[in-house]
Amino acid sequence: MKRFRVSVLSVMAAAALLLTACAKAPEQAQTPQETRTVTDMRGREIALGGAPVTRVIGLTPSDCEILYALGAQDALVGRGEYCDYPAAVVSIPAVQSNYELNTEQILALAPQVLFVSDMEPSDERLQALEAAGIAVVMTNAHYEIDAVYQGIALIGDVMQKEAEADAVIAQMQAAFDALAKKAVQQGEKKTVYFEVSPLEYGLWTAGAGTFMDEIAKMIGAKNVFSDVEGWSEISEEQVLLRNPDVIVTIGMYDGEGLTPAEEILSRTGWENVTAVKNGAVFNLPDNELSRPVPRLADGARMLYDFVYGNDAA
Amino acid sequence: MILCMGTTRHKRLDRAQPSSKGTARLSRAETAGEGFGAAAYIAFAAVTLLTLLLCVCAGSVRIPLSETARICLQAISGKRAAQSDTLAAILLSMRLPRVLCVALTGASLSLCGAAMQGLLKNPLADGSTLGVSSGAALGAVLSIAFGITIPAIPLAGTMGMAMLFALLSLLLILTLAYRLDYSLSTNTILLLGVIYSMFVSSIIALITAFAGEKVRHITFWTMGSLSGSGYREALILLAALAVCGTVLLCSARELNAFALGEENARHIGVNVRRVKLTVLICVSALIGVCVSIGGTIGFVGLVTPHMARLLTGPNHKRLLPASLFGGAVFLMLADLLSRVLLNPIELPIGVVTSLIGAILFLCILYRMRRIV
Amino acid sequence: MRLLEVEHLAVSYGKHEIVHDVGFSLEAGRWLMLIGPNGAGKSTILNAIAGGIAYTGVIRYRGQDMRTMKPGAFAKGVGMLAQNHYVEYAFSVAEVVRLGRYAYAPGAFSRPSGEDTAMVQKALALTGMEALSSQAVPTLSGGELQRAFLAQLLAQNPRVLLLDEPTNHLDPLYQKQLFSLLLEWLHAEEGRAILSVVHDLKLARSYGTDALLLKNGRTLANGAVETVFTKDNLNRAYDMDVYAWMNALQRPWDETEKA
Repeated sequence: MKRFRVSVLSVMAAAALLLTACAKAPEQAQTPQETRTVTDMRGREIALGGAPVTRVIGLTPSDCEILYALGAQDALVGRGEYCDYPAAVVSIPAVQSNYELNTEQILALAPQVLFVSDMEPSDERLQALEAAGIAVVMTNAHYEIDAVYQGIALIGDVMQKEAEADAVIAQMQAAFDALAKKAVQQGEKKTVYFEVSPLEYGLWTAGAGTFMDEIAKMIGAKNVFSDVEGWSEISEEQVLLRNPDVIVTIGMYDGEGLTPAEEILSRTGWENVTAVKNGAVFNLPDNELSRPVPRLADGARMLYDFVYGNDAA
Repeated sequence: MILCMGTTRHKRLDRAQPSSKGTARLSRAETAGEGFGAAAYIAFAAVTLLTLLLCVCAGSVRIPLSETARICLQAISGKRAAQSDTLAAILLSMRLPRVLCVALTGASLSLCGAAMQGLLKNPLADGSTLGVSSGAALGAVLSIAFGITIPAIPLAGTMGMAMLFALLSLLLILTLAYRLDYSLSTNTILLLGVIYSMFVSSIIALITAFAGEKVRHITFWTMGSLSGSGYREALILLAALAVCGTVLLCSARELNAFALGEENARHIGVNVRRVKLTVLICVSALIGVCVSIGGTIGFVGLVTPHMARLLTGPNHKRLLPASLFGGAVFLMLADLLSRVLLNPIELPIGVVTSLIGAILFLCILYRMRRIV
Repeated sequence: MRLLEVEHLAVSYGKHEIVHDVGFSLEAGRWLMLIGPNGAGKSTILNAIAGGIAYTGVIRYRGQDMRTMKPGAFAKGVGMLAQNHYVEYAFSVAEVVRLGRYAYAPGAFSRPSGEDTAMVQKALALTGMEALSSQAVPTLSGGELQRAFLAQLLAQNPRVLLLDEPTNHLDPLYQKQLFSLLLEWLHAEEGRAILSVVHDLKLARSYGTDALLLKNGRTLANGAVETVFTKDNLNRAYDMDVYAWMNALQRPWDETEKA
């Protein structure tokens, strides 16, 4: 019953918004409260209406993660199908995302705000959603840490959790600063090779313009493939030639056979790679360094431990 | 009788003049039997070997020729490479097995293409145009999704399923084609192949949608890659090629007969049913093995037999060996390009073969139209 | 000697039976003409004998059921010249003719014997294709193509020739040459016979020794040409006065000749 009322309300709100948009009526007359606006990551001004935002959908995994990190998860009425962190998010109704973006599914959940990464391809469908009165907020898909802060701040603004967002950002900054400071004390500069997909499918690595590259630099290590742009398929021979001190794989273990790290250690011809010789092959189990989320700080800590050892000062 | 043909022959010769192109190409076969002589085989082997050497010497990491020679000599003399010899590892554990796999895959796919084009009297027949490669891919995807494996032998589950589905696809498509159009015209078969390939890719998408955890496996698998293939894969490919390739090469005369038409083959005494089944099984097995090791690689089976045909004419006694060696050379060079073009980035080999293949194929089509 | 025996032959395409209970036999030294209007089932009968389509009934070659014959033995006994040829690849005429010897050396590594080479040369000579022997087949004219495959058939050297409208692509000169050549072939050795589908009734009447007149897949008449080519039989088969039509066609020629 309550849900029904809410959806009726929101449809009415949508209709009102539509009317204002079409008739260009003076805004003061329609909205007694002050209308909030935010500027999203694509630089668009988004009107949020006066009421607090209580129904949102996060399409990108990072959006949902940030909402949880800000304690705003109660407002989540839907999630993109690939959102999987934290585990609790899975119980929230899923909608299709990316190329399969389904406007009807989204409308049925009657959100006030839809968070989408600005990588989403379907502008027409997003425009249709905006026309239906849903505030579509473009969040971050840039793989640099400053943009992550902006994304967190933006979601904090929308959810009126500014203080929480500031705290999360401050925590991240503090963590990164601490790691960077510690790293200065480490003498030698270690080299790291990040492996995104296993050999069987062709080696893919993370080059310049990825969190892995940026964070490796931050902790005083060097990504051996920083001369490659983004995620790229690279030559196996080059890995041997560049002879990394540490190998970090983000391969997922599907519970059968060798784990991703074991598989790398068992490769023929890799015996002489320093990382393999020293057993310095590690697995980042859960996208800690691939998503624009607060967990990047955890990922950075893990990477630091991988590079300098667990007991490093 | 001869007398009365005299006038005819005169008239004939007048007509024959403008099409002397065809004559020149085939006159050699007249004198020197139908197959190649030893000299031709030595030449083929030499070209293939030179290409192989080139592809082993060149690559993402620049290794000086002297180093390459030293490493090879050490390996041949049985000395263990020094523990820290990275170049030796690159050369012997990566480049050599990969180039071998590529060469064997190219030879297999090209031989299969040539055999199919003869058997079906269809110059556009090939594993990829007939949907056999897609069928093999479907088999492999099924075995990954449902975890079908043969415990004792690694890779056997995927490979067996790929081979089985390649054969089933081929039988299905040919049955449908015979039903629709007994003459097996080019258009019918290609149309069916395209429809079947699209059908199969949607089935693969469906399986991927339900496969959950294994999604990553499957999507990567369908992309296919020969990088990281080792001596074991090379050995499997070699065994498959040794068995199936020999059978195909021994069917050259039958394929000649089929290339003139299945009816004609029957009339001159070819055991049509047996030959067809033998060739189809060999082709499916070879394509199945290739696809399960390297994924689907387009255009090799289509383009190289055509290039070979321009050189040797359509007689399968020469066409099949020429396609075998030509396919190996073509795919090795394509792989070399994929390795060095954007170094250190590696291109998928299918991108390179399709790029080169499509252009070459257009040229061949254009030339064929002009001759006939 | 009885070379071919056909008993209760019936052929169906799907649910339609298009040849009903046809029977005849072919003796050595004879030339049997299959005649009748379009759709009578003439080509179908030839294809059934050649093993190209499924049939019921029995077809025997020298007393042996042809279903049980090995392809090689089959090809040495019965050879067929199809009505149409379409060659996709640029084989030379010699290569096409050489394939006619397949049944004599089917092994993968067998080299052509002296006899093979001699037969191929002879066939090329007989058909007047020697000069064109290295010509690519797709560049031949319709008539040349027909003769290339006839040469293949002669190189194959079967006892019985099955010819499906052999004069199809030929002008009058070639028609005459072809029929003379076939007649010569028939009598060059003992134990040979020809079974051919011929549309031209005058050719059929002149060269045939026997004839089988078909209509709608059934036998109307069967026997020596004199007994089959009667006015009555032909009128029944073709639903028209065939004699009057042929006379009418002939009249202008005769008148020109007289004038």
